[in-house]
Amino acid sequence: MPDYLETTVDKFIFSVATDRLYSPVGVWALAEGDRIRIGMTDFLQQRSGDVAFAEVKPEGTAVATGDEVATIETIKANVEVPSPVGGIVVEVNPAMELSPEAINQDPYGDGWLAIIEAADWPADRDALLDPQAYFEVMRAQAEEEAQKL
Amino acid sequence: MSPGERKVLVVPCSGIGKTYGTVSREAAYEVTEDLRPGATGLVALSLLVLGDEDARAAVRAHPAVTIDGCKLACAARMVQESGGHVTQGIAVLDVYRRNRELKPQGIAELNEGGILLAHAVAEEIIAVVDGVLAGEEGSTHA
Repeated sequence: MPDYLETTVDKFIFSVATDRLYSPVGVWALAEGDRIRIGMTDFLQQRSGDVAFAEVKPEGTAVATGDEVATIETIKANVEVPSPVGGIVVEVNPAMELSPEAINQDPYGDGWLAIIEAADWPADRDALLDPQAYFEVMRAQAEEEAQKL
Repeated sequence: MSPGERKVLVVPCSGIGKTYGTVSREAAYEVTEDLRPGATGLVALSLLVLGDEDARAAVRAHPAVTIDGCKLACAARMVQESGGHVTQGIAVLDVYRRNRELKPQGIAELNEGGILLAHAVAEEIIAVVDGVLAGEEGSTHA
């Protein structure tokens, strides 16, 4: 169970797990050896809305860093999820087929999207944000969103 | 609507400015105005939020089917907080997941997918209504 950084913006509470790295657009990467588990951050899932369907690139798909690895259809929009790491998709969360709401319910746990066997994890890792850095980016994004309301 | 009357109430969410809220309300209108006008009654969620005594009395006296457009489930929660019983809570998103071809779009006016999705929601409501009026009660979830 990871620890979390938390902030409240307007009436919303956003959390950032402290045991992984992040892309600025809100995709997390958790290293498990050479395999990297990825998913959407709490902020990204809340901003995107309730998930209706999640389509993740199938196992065996090669993705470059920044390539679309999943498309999430929510009640608000279709969200393209860029991969924070390049490599081969080796596992897709089976929950995405029948209960994609796991993304909303547990974005850092059961709502993970895929596991990618990294082609060059050290290079990708260096380009990602640590939890505190992402926390600041996310808070600025959340405050900007709140001003639009 | 008198307390002794045998009716099922339909309570859609507000969801103003939201496609799924519009689907929720369109389904409620379809049931209460077209499909089962005599057997159902429409309760405005805003009246429950305001604490309107007639609306609160109605949901206490009759079984209610709630329709919610998002996970906040405002309609189901307000019926319960008003002392009523949610006979069946229907989530528009769940109905959409079972009918992916009916992608809803639009707010003031729904696209064809939205209209058909509202119809699918309405069909689920009348199945509950018919069951309740025939004596069997649906499962409760909010």
